[in-house]
Amino acid sequence: MSSHYFWPGVAAIWGALFAGIASAAVYLRADRGRADLLPLARSFYAAFATCIVAASAVLMTLVLQHRFDVSYVNAYSSRDLPLHFLVSSFWGGQEGSFLLWCFWGALIGLVVWRSAKELEAPVMIVYLASFLGIVAILCKQSPFKLLPPPAPEDGVGLNPLLQDPWMVIHPPVMFSGFASLSVPFAFAIAALWKKRWDGWITRAIPWALFTFVTLGTAILMGGYWAYKTLGWGGYWGWDPVENTSLVPWLATAALVHGMFLQRARKRHRRVNLLLACFAYVTILYGTFLTRSGILADFSVHSFIDLGITGWLVAILLGFLVLSLALVAWRWREIPVEADEETPALSRAVLFVLGIASFCALAFVILLGTSAPLLTRLSGNPSQVQNSFYGRTTTPAAALIAVLAGLVAFVSWKGDSWRGVLASSRRSLIVGAVGVGLAFLLGANQPASLFLLFLALFAADMNLRAVLRKAGNGKLAGAGGYLAHVGFGIMLAGIVVSGVYAKSTRLTLPVGKPVSVGGNTLTFLRVLPATATEKQAMEVRVKTAAGKSFYAYPKMYLNSKTNQLMANPAIRRTAAADLYLAPQSYDPGQPEQVGRDLRMTKATTQNIDGIGFTFRDFNADRSAMMRGEKTILVLTDVTITPSDGVNRDATLRYVWNMETRQADAPEMEIPGVPGGKMRVLAVSPSDGAVVLRLTGVSKDPKAEFQAATVESLSLDVTRKPLISLVWGGFYVLMAGAVLALVKRSREARRAVLAAERPAGAAARGEPVPAPTGPVVPAHGRSSLDPTR
Amino acid sequence: MKKGYWIAGILALGFVALGLTAFQKTLTPYLTFDEARKSRGVVQVMGALDKSSDRYDTANQELSFQLLDEHGRSMPVAYRGIRPGNFKDAISIVAIGRYKNGRIEAEKLLVKCPSKYQGAEVEKSYSAAAPATGS
Repeated sequence: MSSHYFWPGVAAIWGALFAGIASAAVYLRADRGRADLLPLARSFYAAFATCIVAASAVLMTLVLQHRFDVSYVNAYSSRDLPLHFLVSSFWGGQEGSFLLWCFWGALIGLVVWRSAKELEAPVMIVYLASFLGIVAILCKQSPFKLLPPPAPEDGVGLNPLLQDPWMVIHPPVMFSGFASLSVPFAFAIAALWKKRWDGWITRAIPWALFTFVTLGTAILMGGYWAYKTLGWGGYWGWDPVENTSLVPWLATAALVHGMFLQRARKRHRRVNLLLACFAYVTILYGTFLTRSGILADFSVHSFIDLGITGWLVAILLGFLVLSLALVAWRWREIPVEADEETPALSRAVLFVLGIASFCALAFVILLGTSAPLLTRLSGNPSQVQNSFYGRTTTPAAALIAVLAGLVAFVSWKGDSWRGVLASSRRSLIVGAVGVGLAFLLGANQPASLFLLFLALFAADMNLRAVLRKAGNGKLAGAGGYLAHVGFGIMLAGIVVSGVYAKSTRLTLPVGKPVSVGGNTLTFLRVLPATATEKQAMEVRVKTAAGKSFYAYPKMYLNSKTNQLMANPAIRRTAAADLYLAPQSYDPGQPEQVGRDLRMTKATTQNIDGIGFTFRDFNADRSAMMRGEKTILVLTDVTITPSDGVNRDATLRYVWNMETRQADAPEMEIPGVPGGKMRVLAVSPSDGAVVLRLTGVSKDPKAEFQAATVESLSLDVTRKPLISLVWGGFYVLMAGAVLALVKRSREARRAVLAAERPAGAAARGEPVPAPTGPVVPAHGRSSLDPTR
Repeated sequence: MKKGYWIAGILALGFVALGLTAFQKTLTPYLTFDEARKSRGVVQVMGALDKSSDRYDTANQELSFQLLDEHGRSMPVAYRGIRPGNFKDAISIVAIGRYKNGRIEAEKLLVKCPSKYQGAEVEKSYSAAAPATGS
C-alpha cells in the first residue's frame, strides 16, 4: 500500500469492525445456551459504539482543524467556510455520510439492546450485521487517507449548492432515519428466527415511526431547499436521489400501518415480516443505485463510482436473500387466523388496501428510478420521463386519499355502506364546496378537481375524528387521524400548486415597468456583492392590490468554480407564492462602430479582401520588473490589401496597472484609405489580440452595432396554495410524532412488563412471549389468538 | 378478511400493469445522432459541447449550441431556459427532448463536469453527496 492513512481514525474504524464482529459472535454463543455471556456481548457492543463515535470525532476534529493533508478534508472543506458549513463538510462526501449513518446506528443500538429483552441476542446480531457491511466499506474506502506531501494550503471546498443551512441538517436527519429502520428489520428477522410472532411489533413500532418522521422531515427539507435555491420552480423533480429517499419512506408508511393492524388485530403477521424486510432492503437498494455510479448518465447529480459497487451489491443481495429465504422457510409456521367473516367495508380491509397502495406506489417509483439499470440489460440504457411518475402516482394518491378518509369513520368490525355514507356526508359537502370554490377561481381540469375533492374529503373526515377524540379527552391517541388530516391538506396543496401554477418568462429592461398577471415588475439595479450577501438584482413588484415590495433574486459567479449561480426570490402569501427565478442578465452595451477581429499568433484572417496577419507581441517585461505603473505592448501585424502588397505595421497598447485602463491610439491601416485600427485587448497567456477596425467595409451597416439596454430575464411564476404543501406536511408530521410518543410509552410499558420474566431469560429459561398490547387497542386485546 | 387481500391483490396487479405500460410509453432511450434524427418521441443524446457554437438569443430566451459525438459529427440543440451554471466547463452534455425542425429541442440538460469538488483521485464527475435537486 503506497498511500498513508491518519492512523487514529483508521484504528477506530477497524476497532469498530472487530468489536462489532466480536459482539455478534458472543451474542450468538449466548443465544446457544450461554446466557451468562450476555454482559460480555454488551461490552463488545459498547466498544463498537465507542469506536464509531471515536472515528466520527476524529474526522470532525480533522475537518475543524483544516487538516488538508487528509484527502477527504481537502476534497470537501476549505478555510473560507463558516463553522456550520465546515461541520457539514463532514458529510459532504460518500465516506463521511456512511460514517454518519453508522454513527446514528451505533447510538440507536445502545437503546435497542435494552428494549429487546428476550430477543436481545438475535436482534442485536441482525442489527450489528446491518451496520458491519458499511463499516467494512469504510475500512476499504477510508475517509482518513492522507495526500502525498506537501499538504495543500487550502481545501477544494464544499459544493456551493450545498452551502445552505437546510443542507447542513438535511443529511443528519436523513441518516438517523436510515439507521433507525434497521431496528424493525432486526426485530422482524429475530421474530422469524425465534418464532416469536407478536411481541416484536410493540417494541419496533416506535422505531418505524421514528424513521417515518425523520425521513419525511429530511425529504421535505430537501424539497424546500430545491424550491428556494435552485430556481427551476419546483420542490420535487423525481431525480433518483430524491426517489431513493422517498421509496423507503413509503415502505415505512406501509410498515407502520401494517404494524398497527397486527397490533390491533393480531393477524397479518406474514405481511409485516415482509414489509419490515422490504423497507430495509429499499434503503440498501437506494444506496446501491445512488452510490455505485450506475446512474451517472441519468441524474443531475452524476454519482461517482468509488469502487465499492461490488460491496454494495453483495450487502444488498445478502440481506435480500437472507430475508426472503427466512420468510419462505418459516412461511408455513407463521400462524394464520381462521378467517372470521369481515364485511368488505371494515377498517382492517381499508388498512390492507392502504398498505397495498403504499407498496404499489413504492414499486412504480422504484421501477422508474431503476429504468437505466433495467434497460441496460437490453443494451440501450434509457430513463423514463417525469410524466411516468405523474401518470402512475396520481391514481395511487387518489386511492390513498379515499382510504384515509373512510378509515376515520369505519370500525374494525365493519360498517354498512349506508352508515358510512351518513357519517361522511359533512365531509363530502366540504369537498364539494372546496371544488366549487376552486372552479369559480378558475380551476378547470377535471382530474385535478377530483383529486382536490378527495384530498379535502380525507382532511375533513379525519379532522372530525381528531375532534371526536379530543372531545373524549383522548387527543394523545389521535396521531393517526391528525397525520391523515395533514396528508389531505398536503395533497390539496400539491395538486393546486402543481396544476395551476402560471409561469411567464419576462425580459425587464432596466427601469421600465412590465406587467404580468396583475403584478407590475420593474428591474431597478444590480446590487453588488457584499461581505455577507451575494450579488442580487433589485426588482420592485407592484401587486394588483396596489401594494409594493422589493424582491431580490440572486445571480452571481461562484468565484471558486466559475459557476453561474441563480437563486430565486420568493414572495410568500397564504394564497400563493410569487416565484421570481432569474434566467439571464444582460449588462447592456453602448452602440458600437467598428468590427472586432480576434487573432492568434501567426495566423492570417481576411476582412473584406484585406488580409491581417498577427506576427507577434512585444511586451516590455522589464518595465514590470522595475515596478513601473505602466506596461507597453507592441503588436506587429502585416496588412495585405487587395493590391497584394504586404505592409507591416506596429500598434501600441499601454496598460496602466493602477487605473486598470488601457491607452491604445487609433492608427491608419496602411494601404487602406479611410481604414483605422486599434488594439482593443491583448491576451498574452493564449497569444491572442483583438483589433477594432473601422472604415474597412464599404457598407457602414456592417460596422455598426446598435446599443443594447441593460436587462434582466426572469421566470415569473404564481404558485397558488403551495403553502398548503408545507403546512400539510407539518400537520402530517405532528400526527406522526403524537403517535410516536404514544407508541413509545406503550413499548416502554411492554418492556417493563417483560422485565419480571426477563430475569428468567438471563438464566436461560424459556420465557413466554411478552403480552401484546398493554393498553387495549380498540378494546380488542382479549382477542389474542396466539394463546 | 380474505376479501381484503383479494381486493388488494387485484388493485396491486392493476397498478403494476399501469406502471409497466407507463414505463414503456415514457422511456427515453439514449440514441446516436443519426437515430435521433429519425425518432419521433422524447430521446436523449449525449455529446461534447462545441464551444464555438454556443449562443444565447436574448430575444427568444433560447440557448442554442452544437453537440459533437465521438466521430466529430454534430447535432444542433436548442434549449429554452437558463444556461446551466457549469455549462462552459462541461466534458459532456446530455440533452433530453424531441427532434424537431432539424435540431433537438431540449426540455432538460444534464451537464457533466470534470471533477471540481472531488479530490485528485479517480472521480469522473461532480457532486458526490448528491443533494435532492430538481431537473
